[in-house]
Amino acid sequence: MIDDEAQIRRLLRLTLEEAGYAVDEAETGRDGLREASRRGPDAIILDLGLPDVSGVEVLQALRERSAVPVLILSVFGQEDRKIAGLDAGADDYLTKPFADGELLARLRALLRRVKPAVASNRFRFGPVTVDLERRLVTKAGRPVKLTSMEYALLQLFITHRDKALTHRQILRELWGPKAEGQTHYLRTYLMRLRRKLEPEDETPGHFQTESGIGYRFVSDPEN
Amino acid sequence: MPAAAAETPPSRVVTAGMKAAGRPAPDNACRSRLATPMREYLEVLGVIIALTLVAGFTPLTHHAFGHVYLLAVILLCLRVGRGPVLLAAVSSALAWNYFFIPPRFSFQLLDYDDGILLGIYFVVALIAGQLTARIRAQERHERGQQRQATALYHLARALAAGRPLDEALGEAVHQAEALFGAPVALCLAAENGTWTEHAAGALPLGAAEKQITAWVAAHGREAGRGTGDFADAADWYVPMRRGGTVLGVLVFGRADGGDDIPGEQRGLADSFAAQMALLVEREHLRAIAEREQRLAESDRLHRTLFDSVSHELKTPLAVLRTAGSRLETADGSRRTALVREIRTATGRLDRLVANLLDQNRLESGSLRARLDWCDVGDLIPAARRAADEALPGRRVQVVVPDDMPLLFADAALMEHALANLLLNAAHHTPPGTPVEIAAGRESRAGRPGIFVRVSDRGPGLPPEVREKLFQKFSRGPQARAGGLGLGLAIVRGFMLAQGGDVTAGENPGGGACFTLWLPHTAHGAVPDDES
Repeated sequence: MIDDEAQIRRLLRLTLEEAGYAVDEAETGRDGLREASRRGPDAIILDLGLPDVSGVEVLQALRERSAVPVLILSVFGQEDRKIAGLDAGADDYLTKPFADGELLARLRALLRRVKPAVASNRFRFGPVTVDLERRLVTKAGRPVKLTSMEYALLQLFITHRDKALTHRQILRELWGPKAEGQTHYLRTYLMRLRRKLEPEDETPGHFQTESGIGYRFVSDPEN
Repeated sequence: MPAAAAETPPSRVVTAGMKAAGRPAPDNACRSRLATPMREYLEVLGVIIALTLVAGFTPLTHHAFGHVYLLAVILLCLRVGRGPVLLAAVSSALAWNYFFIPPRFSFQLLDYDDGILLGIYFVVALIAGQLTARIRAQERHERGQQRQATALYHLARALAAGRPLDEALGEAVHQAEALFGAPVALCLAAENGTWTEHAAGALPLGAAEKQITAWVAAHGREAGRGTGDFADAADWYVPMRRGGTVLGVLVFGRADGGDDIPGEQRGLADSFAAQMALLVEREHLRAIAEREQRLAESDRLHRTLFDSVSHELKTPLAVLRTAGSRLETADGSRRTALVREIRTATGRLDRLVANLLDQNRLESGSLRARLDWCDVGDLIPAARRAADEALPGRRVQVVVPDDMPLLFADAALMEHALANLLLNAAHHTPPGTPVEIAAGRESRAGRPGIFVRVSDRGPGLPPEVREKLFQKFSRGPQARAGGLGLGLAIVRGFMLAQGGDVTAGENPGGGACFTLWLPHTAHGAVPDDES
């Protein structure tokens, strides 16, 4: 946990230790990087507003040597910083103030991802099954016809499930770097994908919108 | 002039009148005649020669013909200046003598009577010429004065029309240019002690000209061509004085034909400068008064803000402190109740701080909407989640058409605005009453747009409070205790930042409704891969 506020660190330690995690603290970005390489944690919670180095720089340094899941903390109104953090390799973000339940759920999801992801070639979420080898999608046993782009989007979400993806990351992946500003592609395809795969009127669904930032695919929204 | 200003009709009428009358055009015909007296001399000679030639073919006696010459000279007096009239008198006398008075084709005079006639003729022609010339000079002088009066009247109308200072000064500069037939530049003193050039003037000022301008401003004396200072400068600099201060400098270039502005018009230019100085001063005084009023207003707002913020902060803090210390000893259901109080208090603090930060972002101008394509289907659930705590047990109905287009907005701002409307509905309507969120297309003033509307079944809004609702620190008539009255002000600020607006109205079924509106543009094509 890298955060410069002692009270936040104390509170998070309480919450996390109660949930069964072992916690190491660092007060500055440099300390955090040193501790991270020394102890090799399973996940890092990183505050973006550090006194010495910017959170984004910490992330970049971290990503040079490790793929450890990183959850960034930020305050409202700093959408740009969040996007920069996610683009720099953070896996997810939380906006302060947050409820501890939310923090634990995000952390669980990040740790789950690290485990050998797709054991079989099938991936299930809700009533939907995706056969990743034969590229077949069924909903409640009935085949669902997806266009190749819709399937590519779904596949991208499954690969990065439980992780916040910025618009830019998705657009670049599916339509190439030139399409980075074309958010309406994404909105349109997301609408189609939701219509085909999501149960009606269910909130929160599997394809969750992170306002102004991007999307998060949650395989198990109830968890 | 102030009297004329007071009689001035409303500005719109004046503007129309000005257009119809046209700007006073320079009297080119007059100026060019004055400028080329050579033409008048030729004209005079032409007339005398023509008359002499025609006379050769008439049977008139030389006595009768003397009168014809005299008539021609007096007629010429009405058209030409003093010099040409003298020429007309001399040349016609000579022609008459040479060609017509016997012996013809000689300047000799046979008859004593003829000599007297010629002498009288010459004197009469001269006197007539002098008299007419004097009348004409008088007339020209009066016409000039009338033109000046008209020009000043137009100027006063232009300046007094209640227009913004910048526009009025621009109009004055145009009038001066039209009147003097010369390009004009206007320099005004800016707040930080520098001099700025008004955009309306047609005369460009270089570095040297600006130096003279600064000199004129510092000394409060005219300078440039035709004066004692900087006499070799191409332009003429007139200070706009008011009391002891120079509020600006009018610079007159050379007229179109390269002519200087004649001396008698320099007084008029001074009047122009004085009038414009008066206007600038009036504007300065008004600005000062306004600033003072704003300061007083902002002081009052500050106090209100401070009072209510400290109250709003203290209440939840007191709850937190008490509940926190009681938590150590409490148990069972009491403990649960205390935890609930803590939650409510922190929620309230959270909203308060968020509102203050939002308001601050709006006021500091640091808020930049990041417009991008948004789905109403995303915005509404997110806003509902944000306002969830305040809406327990409420039925929230969402009505969005199937063909709802994407909207070009800042998702975070829209969500926040919508959440604030939901919180507002929650605070101002009886618990348990339903709330409806509807979205769709709606054109306003011919512009296609998209609306998101929150309607409630509460007591509704009297029309007279609707506009005031969106001012900061305005609280509804039946508002419960708590809250700063910032929520709706923030909604409006956020909507304006996105190029949209928010309006309050009446729910046709009873209750109030608030409508967020944004202009709608269709997004570009989405690459299709159906094939």
